[in-house]
Amino acid sequence: MATNPMHQFNVHKIGPEIKIGGIDLSFTNASLFMLFSAILILLFLLFGTKEKKIVPGKIQLISEMLYGFVAKMISDTAGKKAKPYFPFIFSLFIFILFCNMIGMLPYSFTVTSHIIVTLAFAVFIFVGVTILGFAIHGFKYLKIFVPSGVPIVLLPIIMIIEIISYLSRPISLSVRLFANMMAGHTMLKVFGGFVISLGLVAGWLPLTFSIALTGLEILVAFLQAYVFAILTCIYLNDALNLHH
Amino acid sequence: MNDSKDLETRLKIAKSKLQNKKIKDTGEKGVFLGNAFKLGTELVAAVVVGVIIGFILDNWFGTKPILIIIFFIFGSAAGILNVFKAAKRMQEK
Repeated sequence: MATNPMHQFNVHKIGPEIKIGGIDLSFTNASLFMLFSAILILLFLLFGTKEKKIVPGKIQLISEMLYGFVAKMISDTAGKKAKPYFPFIFSLFIFILFCNMIGMLPYSFTVTSHIIVTLAFAVFIFVGVTILGFAIHGFKYLKIFVPSGVPIVLLPIIMIIEIISYLSRPISLSVRLFANMMAGHTMLKVFGGFVISLGLVAGWLPLTFSIALTGLEILVAFLQAYVFAILTCIYLNDALNLHH
Repeated sequence: MNDSKDLETRLKIAKSKLQNKKIKDTGEKGVFLGNAFKLGTELVAAVVVGVIIGFILDNWFGTKPILIIIFFIFGSAAGILNVFKAAKRMQEK
């Protein structure tokens, strides 16, 4: 059981089976860890903003830095018009960050290493941004598929290419996060398995690798949350400002 | 009087040091690494979408191998376009 590197990704039910209209809505370990990270975020931010000192304590400092970081990211990539969408992007960023980081703890479950979770995020963003674009610009939003300065002969081909490029957004967004998390965790487990099977004689080499990989994985966990959020900002910018 | 001036100059030096470090460390490295992670999937995702569209259209019209090939080529072009756009965005920063 412990030697199978894919075993950590198993989803299993906790508690009774709940079925509503043929859809399985049972509480699983994935839901448990999502709930866990949501509660942790809530507690962390509540404690961080409770005292509001002028000279901040550690938790207050971290939560204020997180706020500033996301606010700067949004204003840098999507401009002032994107300010109303700050709560959405902040919650998206911090939820993915916490899910990734909780996944780094031993014996925990990485929610974002499942494509269904990341694809749900990405499709939600994609549909939301598309509706937003049509709501703000009307049918002018279709201009996003027609780059300026293209000869009329080439236009149909360019349009097909642009549409495929647009449709590929949710796929690249979700696959990137899922693949990075899953590959990293599988690799960690494989190297951990080497340590056991090589024993005291040669087990030290994979152990050092394993330690280095843990550091890399923490970096990747942060970076993937950042990339996910910043790409959401870029897509939002395309929908809000509509120029190539 | 002397003490406060001393503190001011020291503060200035520390601030400028911090700023330099910030630009070098978090700013550049983080963004570069993030961008590097981005480019690979941009290329692949468009090809996948192109092939899926081709596959669905082929099933609709019953023209089994033709449309999937055409849309594979379109998908590859869209993938290159994605990478091109991402690289352009990187240069603007």
